[in-house]
Amino acid sequence: MFNNIFKKQRYYFDSEGLLVVDMAPSSAVHYQEAVKAATQDAGFAGEDMVINFGPQHPSTHGVLRLEVVLEGELVKKVTPHLGYLHRNFEKHAEHIPYNEIVPYTDRLDYLAAMNMNWGYVLAVEKLLGLTELPERVEYIRVICAEFNRIASHLMAIGTFGLDAGAITPFLWAFRDREKILDLFEWLSGARMLYNYIWVGGVARDLPDGWVEKAREFLDYFEPMMVEFNKLLTHNHIFIERTAHVGILPADVAINYAATGPVLRGSGVKWDLRRDEPYSIYDRFEFDIPVGEGMYGPVGSAFDRYWVRIREIEESVKILRQALDQIPEGDVFEAIPRKIRPPAGKEAYFRSEAPRGEIGFYIRSNGSDIPDRVKCRSSCFVNISLIDEISRGQLVADLIINIGSIDIVLGEVDR
Amino acid sequence: MRTYFRNVYRGLITILIGMRQTWRHLFTPSVTLQYPHEKWDLPVGTRQQLFVNIDDCIGCYKCARICPVDCIYIDTVKAKPDEDLGKASTGNPIRQHLVRFDIDMFKCCYCNFCTTVCPTDCIYMTDKYETSVYDRSNGIYHFSKYAPDYAAKLIAEEKAAEEAKAAARAAAKEKAMAAKKAKVAE
Repeated sequence: MFNNIFKKQRYYFDSEGLLVVDMAPSSAVHYQEAVKAATQDAGFAGEDMVINFGPQHPSTHGVLRLEVVLEGELVKKVTPHLGYLHRNFEKHAEHIPYNEIVPYTDRLDYLAAMNMNWGYVLAVEKLLGLTELPERVEYIRVICAEFNRIASHLMAIGTFGLDAGAITPFLWAFRDREKILDLFEWLSGARMLYNYIWVGGVARDLPDGWVEKAREFLDYFEPMMVEFNKLLTHNHIFIERTAHVGILPADVAINYAATGPVLRGSGVKWDLRRDEPYSIYDRFEFDIPVGEGMYGPVGSAFDRYWVRIREIEESVKILRQALDQIPEGDVFEAIPRKIRPPAGKEAYFRSEAPRGEIGFYIRSNGSDIPDRVKCRSSCFVNISLIDEISRGQLVADLIINIGSIDIVLGEVDR
Repeated sequence: MRTYFRNVYRGLITILIGMRQTWRHLFTPSVTLQYPHEKWDLPVGTRQQLFVNIDDCIGCYKCARICPVDCIYIDTVKAKPDEDLGKASTGNPIRQHLVRFDIDMFKCCYCNFCTTVCPTDCIYMTDKYETSVYDRSNGIYHFSKYAPDYAAKLIAEEKAAEEAKAAARAAAKEKAMAAKKAKVAE
């Protein structure tokens, strides 16, 4: 056994002619290089195999189908096929009044429904020219959005660990996410699809004692994140598995219009909360984490994961400031009785959701039903990168790459 | 060779760190419940199964109109002038027979819009969530308190009254036209 390990050559053919790769010593990179070398030497080239990956596959995070062209174990080409969760959001929105579209936006990114509600509502408010909202409403919206960002990122890092083969962190992430969902259930009555942020206000005021409970949760949550990092983030095996795969250079990310943690993981410091502050984000102090390339090249799958971990910490920072500053007030006073923007007026608003920029373009025709609603989805844009970052890598790394992009099919297909 | 043993050492240590965390968590209280036997307490205002207190409903159609998925079906018959149907508990007078008030809970999206617009707060969301049924038709909940034959009778009466009214209107119109014609002929 030791013979093979200390030999320079990292692969050999056994007595039956099958390829055996010594995976033992160090990183995934060595394995990848060994397989590449073996594939070339053995003359496997020319035998392409096309496999369908999904749509019913636990690692695709929903009903995504990938058509993968394989050369041996190396990925030559990946084509994502979408549309398995298409619900016709944009056309449907042309037939129902402005305020009734809010429950439909819940179902776009169902893991961050508050951010979706907020993105749509901000676009309608821009269309109506409704800029002066009660202070309390703004603070409640920021608190909800940041809590939902934490919940969404917990899901992302948990399933990413699951893709890499770690089950315990997934369960721990779900345990903490559950507590955030409990807070939201107390606040809005629902656990996932809140329909909470309405045009000009919110559906309900904060219940008595909610702020204290939220602070209690943050006190509980911060040590839990330290434990989580010990278990998964700083785990050497996990780092070796992820820090060298799915490398996305910054220029490619910008060319593909990637946003959110996928863009920031490549080292580009771009966050709408800081660069185009909407609502009251200019009042809070927080950093924009970017990929640092601590264990490998910048823009790897681990960097995208690391950006999410750091963003959870920044969200906790924002939440602490917001929970301290929240004023008293009436949350219903600015809700308009009739939403009827002038005919021909149009508005586009983009905001920072956990998975990137969510943008809504709305055109009015003078009635209470919009003429056109267009949704710019971040996941839809980010999934187009899957071919760019998985080409020339192994099939096993493809799973890691999908997990690191963190898509929600509800938003990809709309 | 040095790298090899360093990697082995690192792999061992990193597993031990993880195992220490896991070991510590073995002695913390469990966060899960044995679901069908134990249940979580739901907070006030939770959004589950819809319910209509039909005695308070005034048949204003507001809930059916705001429903984004159109899952509320209401049919009403106007009360006759000499009929008194009483008042809702909030004081709003009831002027219609509610011959049909059905909610299709399979279509419901639990958005809570119907309960916010209700003027008498007679439609609300309860905390019942175990509502699976064996047949799709069992998911449609009927809230009207009118017996089907009585409801049919009311609908038929209204239809007859409307038809009579329409006939009377047509006759009046014809008479007016005839009078006009006669005037023109003169």
